[in-house]
This record gives sequence, C-alpha cells and structure tokens, in this order.
Amino acid sequence: MLVDHFESPRYKGALESADVVAPGGSPECGGSVTIYLKGDGNGGVESLTWTGQGDIISMGSTSIVVDRILNQNLSMDEILAEDYEELIDSIGRDIIRNRTRHATLGLSTIKAAVRQYRKSGRPRSGP
Amino acid sequence: MRSRNQRPKGESVTEQEIQDKGYAHPDALVSTQWVADNLDDTENFRLVESDEDVLLYDIGHVPNAVKIDWVEDLNDPLMRDYLDPEHFANLMAEKGISPDTTVIFYGDRNNWWATYALWVFRLFGHDNVKVMDGGRVKWEAEGREMTQDVPSFPRAEYPVPERDDSEIRAFREDVEKHLDASGPLVDVRSPGEYKGELLHMPDYPQEGALRGGHIPGAANVPWARAVREDGTFKSADELRGIYEGEAGLGGGDDVIAYCRIGERSSHTWFVLSYLLGYGKVRNYDGSWTEWGNLVRAPIER
Repeated sequence: MLVDHFESPRYKGALESADVVAPGGSPECGGSVTIYLKGDGNGGVESLTWTGQGDIISMGSTSIVVDRILNQNLSMDEILAEDYEELIDSIGRDIIRNRTRHATLGLSTIKAAVRQYRKSGRPRSGP
Repeated sequence: MRSRNQRPKGESVTEQEIQDKGYAHPDALVSTQWVADNLDDTENFRLVESDEDVLLYDIGHVPNAVKIDWVEDLNDPLMRDYLDPEHFANLMAEKGISPDTTVIFYGDRNNWWATYALWVFRLFGHDNVKVMDGGRVKWEAEGREMTQDVPSFPRAEYPVPERDDSEIRAFREDVEKHLDASGPLVDVRSPGEYKGELLHMPDYPQEGALRGGHIPGAANVPWARAVREDGTFKSADELRGIYEGEAGLGGGDDVIAYCRIGERSSHTWFVLSYLLGYGKVRNYDGSWTEWGNLVRAPIER
C-alpha cells in the first residue's frame, strides 16, 4: 500500500482556491509537505490536496492519509482527533519501524492546516 | 599470484577516470563497473547500502549488498550517541564483516547516508572502507542489475574494537575551543538554514532549533556542491575551487564541519579527508540541533 501510494500518489498537486496553505517538515532534510485545504463552511472539508518531497514513507503516508480523509468524508473535528499511533499501525509498524516521524508528517501538517483555518475565523459550521 | 602485467579485476577505464580526478586518496572510491566486476567476491568485499529513504533497499538493491540503516543499526537506542563497541562488533559479525573485510558503501542522495555510515565505521577503527562513486542513482541509471534477494553470509569473527571519537568527531566543547582559537568551520546546510531564514515547522519541534543562524565565522558550502549531476564526486580541482577558492579552507587546517544532525556534514568530512587529503577534519554531529538550542551559544546571521 505504501509503495503504491508513493508511486501513484493520490490528490497530489497545488490547489489554487485553497483557504489555507500549510507547510510541514524540512525541505532540506527529512522530507517536507505542503497541505492545501479548502473548508466547506460547515465544519467539513471541501478540498484537500498536497505537494511534497521526501522518502517512500513520508510521501506514501501523506497520500494514504489524504485519501482516507476524503474517502471517509472526515470533518475537521475528526481530522484533529485522528490518532498517530493508529495511523502507524494501519500502514504497518514493522515497515515504518523507527521512521514514525516520516509517517506522521502528512497528518501532522494537515492538523496544523485545520488549526490555521480555524484561527483565521472561518466558520466551524453553517447557520 | 597476479603477474605484473595483469590488472586487478575491474581496473578499467572507469577506475582511470577516478584516478584522473586527482584525489589525494583515489582508492577511497570505486566505480560502478568495478563493483559489477567484483560482486561475487563476498569474501574480501562487503557491499553496504545505507539510504536516507530506508525502504529503497527493500524495493531493489545491488546484488549481494547488505542494508545498514543508520538510524536503526548505528545509533544508541536511548542516548543521543552511536552504538557501543559490543553492538558494533555484533552488527559486523551478523553482516559477515571481519576486520579485514573491505566495506564498500553506497546509497541514495549522492551517497549522503553512505558517507555517514562510513564515518561511524571509522569511529570503531574499521579503516578498510570505500564508496561507490555515483551511488545508487548511477547504478540504476546504467541499467545494472538490482535484486530484492537479501543475501546471508556466514557469521564473521569481529573482536570488540576500541572506540576513539577524538580524531574525526567534534563535541560541543571542541567547537567552543575551536571558536576561541578562530579555527575554520564549515556549515554545509542550505543558505536559508545558514542565514536563519529557514526554521523548522512548529509541528516538529524536535526537528528544529529555537534559534536560526550559524556558528560565528563558519563558511557556508552546501554539501551537495561536492557532487555532479550524476551523483559522482567532482574532481579535486573543482573541489579545491569550492572549498579553498570560495570558502577559504586549506589542507593544513583543522576543520570542523556541521549541519543539522551531522549527516550532511559527514559527506563533506569524506570529501575533505579522502578526496582532498586534509589531515584533520572533524564532524560536529551535535550540529545545529544542539548549537541552535544551546543557552548562550553565540550565533551569527
């Protein structure tokens, strides 16, 4: 799954209409991602894409997480509640081993994007 | 016994190309052709792949290469340090490496983590070390054989070595003394990191530092300037142009190199020590994750 997502990343590309563009990681060392988030004004996610460079684990995991969020239609609250350890287990702890930081790069940056979205005063839910 | 007229296996025009690059220690590098010609000599040579992208080996590697993951295999699991001599000896034995085995390192990202692993081997006095010029990228680009088969070698005898960090490793107090003596420092990070413009992202506080900038007086030579597009090292003349012409270093200097955690600076350490033949080069592996978080450590931007 990880290699598949690395070789055929889902939802990769910049989003012109993003409400929030959030960078994460380090471009120089260890991998980096940029998350593009557009909220639906109702506590949910209208669009979510990403760009980035890094190893198989960081890029593959980011693709897996974005795919999961959109397929399961997670709300912003649910994104913030996503558990890093569960993510690592679902991808495979024996594959990720000590590269847990790489595996959580995408999810962590998505959470940062959600927090940034909320700080900007955008509505959590509609009228 | 080889006659005078017989060339060692693999000494072809490609080894001549390495010779022609004018290095102080040209035997520190071997070509991809040489590796291809000597793949089966697993008694005298051991190929070690060490990558930043840890899964690359599993997807495909040079036949008969073993994987050594710098993070998993060469680090102390608790304290920020490298493994102890007993664990090193055991790791060597497991990989079928004896003290006489010549270890040839290669990896991704211009052999960056390959040189880091080589540097750790040198801490334990394993001096029979070489790097495959061009690394993984060149091997693949040449369409050479890759395999997923993980080789298994008979357990070797490797006596527990002495560990001596003093020759090639600098600690914080060494850097402080070096600063007092105006010793040359080379910061091999990107210009953005060197100038303190690029700090790590808030979600990864353990990756970043509380302050940005560089150690006062350090010259900035980003590590990858030492290599060509194809991943091979530049010639000695080209390297001297960069490290001496631009950065003002000299062969007789006592140089300390650093980056963020010492991984990129081990690449520069290799270049200065083996390719340019500098007599004293140390890698400050505490690097910016230590210095940039250290109370009252002087910083320049």
